[in-house]
Amino acid sequence: MASLTFDPAYAPHGGRHRRQSVISRPGAVPRPVVAEVATILAGLGFGACVALAVTAESWKQLAAPGGVTMFLGNLSGLAGTYLALIMVLLVSRVPMVERVLGQDKLLASHRRLAPWPISLIVAHAVLLTFAYAEAARTGVWYQIGAFIRSYPNMLTATVALVVMVAIAVTSVYSIRRRLRRETWWAVHLFMYLALALAFTHEIALGPSFVGHPLTRLVWSVLWASTAGLVLVYRFGLPLFRTLRHRLEVVEIHPEGPGTVSVICRGKHLDRLAVAGGQFFEWRFLTKGMWWQAHPFSLSALPRPPFLRLTVKGIGDYSSAVARLRPGTRVAIEGPYGAFTTHARRRSKVVLIAGGIGVTAIRSLLEDLPRDCDPVVILRASSAEELALASEVAELVRHRKGRVHELVGSRSEVRTDRLSELVPDLQNRDVYVSGPEEFVNRVVATVLRLGVPKDSVHFEVYSL
Amino acid sequence: MRRAPAVVVASAAGFAGIVAMHSGSSPSILSGTGPSTPVSSSPATTGPSTIPTGPRAGAATTAIGTSEQYGYGVLAVKVTVRGGRITEVSTAKLQTAEQYSQTLAQQVIPLLRNEVLSAQSAHINGISGATYTSEAYAYSVQSALDVLGVK
Repeated sequence: MASLTFDPAYAPHGGRHRRQSVISRPGAVPRPVVAEVATILAGLGFGACVALAVTAESWKQLAAPGGVTMFLGNLSGLAGTYLALIMVLLVSRVPMVERVLGQDKLLASHRRLAPWPISLIVAHAVLLTFAYAEAARTGVWYQIGAFIRSYPNMLTATVALVVMVAIAVTSVYSIRRRLRRETWWAVHLFMYLALALAFTHEIALGPSFVGHPLTRLVWSVLWASTAGLVLVYRFGLPLFRTLRHRLEVVEIHPEGPGTVSVICRGKHLDRLAVAGGQFFEWRFLTKGMWWQAHPFSLSALPRPPFLRLTVKGIGDYSSAVARLRPGTRVAIEGPYGAFTTHARRRSKVVLIAGGIGVTAIRSLLEDLPRDCDPVVILRASSAEELALASEVAELVRHRKGRVHELVGSRSEVRTDRLSELVPDLQNRDVYVSGPEEFVNRVVATVLRLGVPKDSVHFEVYSL
Repeated sequence: MRRAPAVVVASAAGFAGIVAMHSGSSPSILSGTGPSTPVSSSPATTGPSTIPTGPRAGAATTAIGTSEQYGYGVLAVKVTVRGGRITEVSTAKLQTAEQYSQTLAQQVIPLLRNEVLSAQSAHINGISGATYTSEAYAYSVQSALDVLGVK
């Protein structure tokens, strides 16, 4: 039974059941061209960096002892540091980009790109050490000492390198697994410091920068702008929203075994622009939880002054959420996510939820128009695990759609079942949400059945 | 990655753009073979000056080459020519960015001087480990020679 503050019989686009409650602003419409422009700019910058390294070389330098090694060292330094800049931008949460690509995809790209800048920067240090040692005809160890002693800014650059390597090591999967999430996160944040420390040696010693004031200026502006974006969008905006909306927990409402809804009250929620399907990073300011931020989708559009999220109790943290006391303050980051109605290419949809993935589907439904003819597939291993099922059913009924509950170990979302339940699958946009393994399997199935890639949208729930 | 072709094309464009902007400045590996004409590598260069000393035939003439900014410092060379032969090369100006470059320059310049005197031109090999210094030295010598009308 739904909580007293949330009523699913709400028709956002008119109809008999329209309620008078003020809904919060819809999110700004994402413009896909922003992602295209950002990608092109990133490529342009990379090519320019490589060209900077190449045009700073002369044949004479290459022919000198250690010349080729020095060139490769310069090239890897420029390319690696540029890619590090891209890494920072990928997780800077700039709204224009984030609402098109989605925080989860941006994080995935960040993780995938990571080996490149770190390898290039380590190679840069190693190659230049060998190159200078060869040119000066000294030993490698002596050369390292010479770097740190007599070149400006090399001490801070070496410290930066050590920090970067430490971060890279802790992020290797087998090691990261053994660390507590908070420990890994605290180490990772030092990357901002490492990049700042390394900056001065780039400008002071890089052949492309020394004696080239314009190049120096562009590089400095690039880094200053990135720092600005991070300060504003990664730290400033979340802080601003937290202080402005002053969320606190008012009710914990059980939705089923191990699943609870957390209802929060806040100020000015009519000014919080959220689209159905989006999520926040939640930081409950109570003992034992305040240092962690976890992503949870809203399980309904805001009903000012109330917000709702629904959490399944897997792991210590989620179980602790169930024990939250009313009055606990909440800090938020977001809203994030591209799993919204704006991502649609067609008017008709299929919504597939695995387990707790139903929360995003439930709030997404509120944003979908009446002509979307929704087919909703809810997958759970047992009937009681179908949280929010009645709310989903109500919303779907209002849109003249159908709900299919696939419960039990024999009812997987398989190819044959899917084409049976949704004969016109290829003409619909497909939204899939749930645990990683579930999402991967279903997305693969859906693509195999001929749905174009642009029409498949997914959100992965990971611990 | 779906946008990979766009990234590759954009990278190529960025590369080409920088190369285009750079051509006409100091020669790099992209502009052909090694330096044959002295071109100053930065805007902070002053022109060569001539100090004619003594009467014409058989007398020595001296010129100070362009101040070459080579990234780690600035140097200008003074060349003395007597009867068509380079008889003296000395440092007119040397300012370095930091201590290491200063020490290096001081060690290397005597060697470069000997190279110029034995080669009797600015086309020297240079000293490994001091590539930028050597190049700047050569350019400065060449510009002085141009002023003196030698080679």
